Amino acid sequence: MADAVLVSGLVRTFGPVRALNGLDLTVRGGEILGLLGPNGSGKTTLIRVIAGLLRPTAGSVVVLERRLPDRRVAARIGYMTQSAALYEDLTPRENLIFFGRLYGLTRADATRRAAALVDRVALSEKADAPVHQLSGGMRQRTNLACALIHQPDLLLLDEPTVGIDPRNRRSLWDHFYELHQGGATILLSTHIMDEVERCHRVAMIEQGQIIAAGTPEELRRGVGAATIEEAYLAFSGGAVGSGGTVPSAAGGPVR
Amino acid sequence: MSLARVAAIAGRIFTQFRRDHRTLALILVVPIVVMSLVGYLLSERREPVNIGYVNADRGGETFIGPINLGMSIDGVLRKQPGITVQPYASADAAEAAVRSGEIVGAVLVPDDLTERVLAREPALLGLLLRGIEPVSDNTVRLALRRALAALAERLAETIGDGAPGQPVTIEETTVLAEPGLATIDYYGPSFIVAFAFFFTFLLTSVSFLRERATGTIERLTASPATRLEVVVGYLSGFLFFALIQSLVILGYSVWVLNMRVAGPIGLALLVLGVLVVGVVNLGIALSFFARNELQVVQFIPLVFLPQVLLAGLIWPVETLHPVLRTLAQVFPLTHALAALRTVMIGGGGLADIQDRLLVLLAFAAAMIALGAAALQKQKA
Repeated sequence: MADAVLVSGLVRTFGPVRALNGLDLTVRGGEILGLLGPNGSGKTTLIRVIAGLLRPTAGSVVVLERRLPDRRVAARIGYMTQSAALYEDLTPRENLIFFGRLYGLTRADATRRAAALVDRVALSEKADAPVHQLSGGMRQRTNLACALIHQPDLLLLDEPTVGIDPRNRRSLWDHFYELHQGGATILLSTHIMDEVERCHRVAMIEQGQIIAAGTPEELRRGVGAATIEEAYLAFSGGAVGSGGTVPSAAGGPVR
Repeated sequence: MSLARVAAIAGRIFTQFRRDHRTLALILVVPIVVMSLVGYLLSERREPVNIGYVNADRGGETFIGPINLGMSIDGVLRKQPGITVQPYASADAAEAAVRSGEIVGAVLVPDDLTERVLAREPALLGLLLRGIEPVSDNTVRLALRRALAALAERLAETIGDGAPGQPVTIEETTVLAEPGLATIDYYGPSFIVAFAFFFTFLLTSVSFLRERATGTIERLTASPATRLEVVVGYLSGFLFFALIQSLVILGYSVWVLNMRVAGPIGLALLVLGVLVVGVVNLGIALSFFARNELQVVQFIPLVFLPQVLLAGLIWPVETLHPVLRTLAQVFPLTHALAALRTVMIGGGGLADIQDRLLVLLAFAAAMIALGAAALQKQKA
């Protein structure tokens, strides 16, 4: 499968701040790639650039084999924002149908898919209650469902499990795997260390640059760490301490 | 009561305001701008209104020689404050000038004025007024009455006992509306356009801001929907409610408050409809420049008050300083009010207001473009 996302030399500045500082990253088609980094490391900025919401200051971004900016890509991307971006006065079902129609589905198709999604993310009970009555976990599942309504090829999930209890987090991950089985590529960001163990590959981001990338196993082995957290600390410490020479994990080229 | 806690709360507010430069600027600048405008509007420094003067008087003979009262009135009238006088050849020419807006009224002197006054017979002086806007009508009335009083005094001094005892009667004709309208009929259109503008602006800007606060706008912009689709979609959605609101305002004014509608009521609604299209988009565009509801509310004095003061709601646009008059021409409220007055008070038809409607349509188009541009800014 072709690479789903190819980012090279990406720079994005906000005034004097360089949020992305010459970042290179490849997301392979069909994989679940976890973007791991602390708050303010550039995760959200990167996802928003890939989603076409921000223009790069420099560098190139190719998404689903089209170089951005290209409006045609938007219809094939599912974007799940960090906080549940939903219409509070509408029900989950109505939110789903609305976003489905924005992505060009007919009302009938959107209604049919909304019904299926409501079942799939276990919202059936509250599917017809206004969103403001929903619990945090339910909101986040609705939020995910809204990103899925048009059956995207690439899913961008910005810290999808923040503020979610372990049970709900597990159910969200079940959905991610299910989507992966269906052939979707998933790029998700997180600052929760153990969460990235569930990803096929992990890219560690710090100060707007990818400091290491590889499978969780490769990353741990590369620095002789027992956990991803240790590996992360080793990589980020190494990046600062050794003047930018980053030990590349075997098999997972840092691009 | 703990003073420390009170001080903490007050201190926090102080810190917040100090950091919020926009709020600070609005708090200080807006009152100064608004009060300067009010001070100017309430002063005598406003521009004079133009009136026409048609003198058909043949004049007459007295023991001190020939006199022409028509010319005398003209002379005194020119000295009155608040007006400038232009001669016209005939009553028809003057009436045409009133209709075209060149002058706000005209004094018509009949050919036998001097003769009748000297013969101590009742004499009539014609006064043409527009009849749709009370302030300039009153300015003209007052100037003419003052001129006649001054003239009577002067005549009494010069010809003593021979001065005419019979006062001259002023016969008013309104060109654009029926005479003798109630205050509510005059000011009704002002309130209708002001409320339609205000409520629509509030409705749109606050609802749209909520969209941004919940982050759903992020989803919209990430979707394949184009900027124009988003803006026009919003417009269509809000417009329905804005139009219902206009219908309520207009309907209540007409059927409950018995406000006069001389022209077709559908046309009055069309004027409001076109105004509201522009205002909906103004609300959308401006809410992009605001971070929260508070800032949207702060835009109101900036966007709304100058229009209330300068769009002719109370003070006629013709009497404004040329700079302010030019400014008033870019305000949608100016054109909406002029059109609504023409329809509701003057009984005008589509042909009478089409220029105003075109300006309002241009405003609406400009605001749609601004809304789309603001959406782009959101995305950049």
